[in-house]
Amino acid sequence: MSEDSFLLTVDGLSVSFFTEEGVARAVQDVSFSIKNGKTFALVGESGCGKSVTALSIMRLIAEPQGKIVSGKIVFDEKNLLELKEKQMRNIRGNKVAMIFQEPMTSLNPVYTVGNQIVEAIRLHQKKPMEQAWADTVEMLHKVGIPDPDRRVSEYPHQMSGGMRQRVMIAMAVSCQPKLLIADEPTTALDVTIQAQILDLLDKLQEQNGMSILLITHDLGVVAERADDVAVMYASRIVEVAESKVLFEGPLHPYTQGLLRSLPRLGISAKRLQTIAGTVPDPLHFPTGCKFHPRCPIGNSDKRCQSIEPRLRQVCDGRCVACWYAPGYETEQEKKNTN
Amino acid sequence: MSTKSQVRESWGTSYGQMVWREFFKSRLNTACMIFIIFLFAAAVLAPFLANDKPFVIRIGGQLHFPLFGDLQPNDYCVFLAAIVGFCQLLLVLRNHRRVEPSIRGRVFWRQVSINTVIMVTGIILIFIFVPRRLDATDYKSMVASGKATSAYFAPVPYGYARTDLKSREQPPGREHWLGTDDVGSDVLCRLIHGSRISLSVGFVAVGLSTVIGIIIGAILGYFGGKVDFLGMRVVEIMMAIPTFFLIITIVAFFPRSLFNIMIVIGITSWTEDARFIRAEFFRLRNQDFVQAAVSLGLPLRSILFRHMLPNGIAPVLVNATFGIAGAIFIEAALSFLGFGVAPPMPSWGQMLSLGVSTTGRFLWWLTLFPGMAIFFTVLTYNLVGEALRDAIDPRLRKAA
Repeated sequence: MSEDSFLLTVDGLSVSFFTEEGVARAVQDVSFSIKNGKTFALVGESGCGKSVTALSIMRLIAEPQGKIVSGKIVFDEKNLLELKEKQMRNIRGNKVAMIFQEPMTSLNPVYTVGNQIVEAIRLHQKKPMEQAWADTVEMLHKVGIPDPDRRVSEYPHQMSGGMRQRVMIAMAVSCQPKLLIADEPTTALDVTIQAQILDLLDKLQEQNGMSILLITHDLGVVAERADDVAVMYASRIVEVAESKVLFEGPLHPYTQGLLRSLPRLGISAKRLQTIAGTVPDPLHFPTGCKFHPRCPIGNSDKRCQSIEPRLRQVCDGRCVACWYAPGYETEQEKKNTN
Repeated sequence: MSTKSQVRESWGTSYGQMVWREFFKSRLNTACMIFIIFLFAAAVLAPFLANDKPFVIRIGGQLHFPLFGDLQPNDYCVFLAAIVGFCQLLLVLRNHRRVEPSIRGRVFWRQVSINTVIMVTGIILIFIFVPRRLDATDYKSMVASGKATSAYFAPVPYGYARTDLKSREQPPGREHWLGTDDVGSDVLCRLIHGSRISLSVGFVAVGLSTVIGIIIGAILGYFGGKVDFLGMRVVEIMMAIPTFFLIITIVAFFPRSLFNIMIVIGITSWTEDARFIRAEFFRLRNQDFVQAAVSLGLPLRSILFRHMLPNGIAPVLVNATFGIAGAIFIEAALSFLGFGVAPPMPSWGQMLSLGVSTTGRFLWWLTLFPGMAIFFTVLTYNLVGEALRDAIDPRLRKAA
């Protein structure tokens, strides 16, 4: 396989939740691709649809309220949305695995950690008990749990948050998946543990050659670890780029705002900048560009208020959804608006 | 050896062990458990405690063992079930000390399946090879007339089906400790044999209703949506029917047998369990560890019954203890109304109904003793249920 071949392609994904108050369009027309063996980061504020996107890939959207309305998710040349539940089960855990945000609640309290990892190994790799057990101990050793022989028969409540997240990672990578979805894997952990967990993910990625879909709201994490980045805002992707490029020159005003609100080394600022306002309620999205009420350019612009810009490629490997991004408008449109 | 014990010390405390410890912290709970064990022992050993046949008797210089000879196939079944159950209990205790926690569940289910096989084959063999015997010899008159010597009788030397019109409606006295009923049967003897009926009704009916309730509740709770909507309407229809009258109606149509009563109580009282499990599964379905289990590609069976059920079973367990008390009560009420087990089979409710005799005399001992037996059994199960709920609820544990 060439280096740039895509492992996963999400194309035009839309997910809606049908609640009693109305329809919440949690994800609209989201498209991105993850390269083999690379880390792709999905960044955005809480409630912007990152987690829903991740859950859609696993087909874990809670039905019947939630529904994938349209789109394709192509993994290994198969559209995951068309697979039968049984085929999907064979992909979950085996080809695509997931780590959840909250390590304190993502392990079953009534079983030992070894028990939970063994179950997945035995299911997907059809190994006998002894072999699966040995693999589990080795896996725990790999994720840096001291004394794995002993720890393997402990219950989750005997472990710290960082430990549990390591166990979760061990569980997720135990069947050598091709894609690991990490849904805010470090949000619930303290800073020193965060770095360790991310280093661990890097190490495992190197060993197994898997791709990682890293979902986070921490731009610092993205800058360090991700190869490519997509920024989400209010159910849509507003900008996609290689992470280096993105951090050097963000095109979308939202991304610019996010980067300005980060503290920087060497530049002394009295107060960090913020983006005014809050994320709109998914039940009542503003018309036009969803960012326009908070946007320095857009809040007085007629077009931003009425027509929503689609994600468009502006130059090689860079996509953005903003009328004012350089290179966004075609000549034709410029003429029309003027 | 030292390394082994060190390893054991490092084993974590399982949820079950925590509940167990919490439960036995209270003296009252311990007392309740002792009372239940006592009841069980009485029920299992009933033929040895109250029987008109002697253990040993010498007739014409030859030793006979009439009591053992008179044991019926169902007595042997009860003994077998009790022994197997007791062994399983010991095995569970042993597992917690000897077996590594991660494989405990597997070991436990293997033991249970082996024991079930032993029990089922044993019961079949018993019914094939042990004949139903009827030994109508009156050993007591033989002893009295001097034909037989050195007889050793059970503590209560009367059979539960004995009729003796000479000594009917006698108040408690030296000969009959708790008196006799309208046909001259010993009340204590019938009380002891009646505990079998009450306990088996309680356990079988509740076992049946719990299994039905868990399966229906699990499906409703996990799938939700339309399945849940339709299912809950069925449950509500079931709940709207006054269960007791439904049971009376059904029992009236079918022959009077213990088996029918158990089944009828079982299939009419699962709605509570189904609702509890459904509510628990609604809560658990969105828990991270269930999502994690789904994201590992585990089959539905494993997710429902391996990962969700053990975390949601607590309210059902508590409800089951109340259910046992309720089933005993329903059986007593049915027997009181004359829909229960057919005489001469003894049942507490039936004995209670004899308290007012045909001559209009109020026989207080026939009301008091069976009434107390029902009262204490139901009370004990309710107390155990309450204690179990407190032991299981982690919020109360933290607060204490």
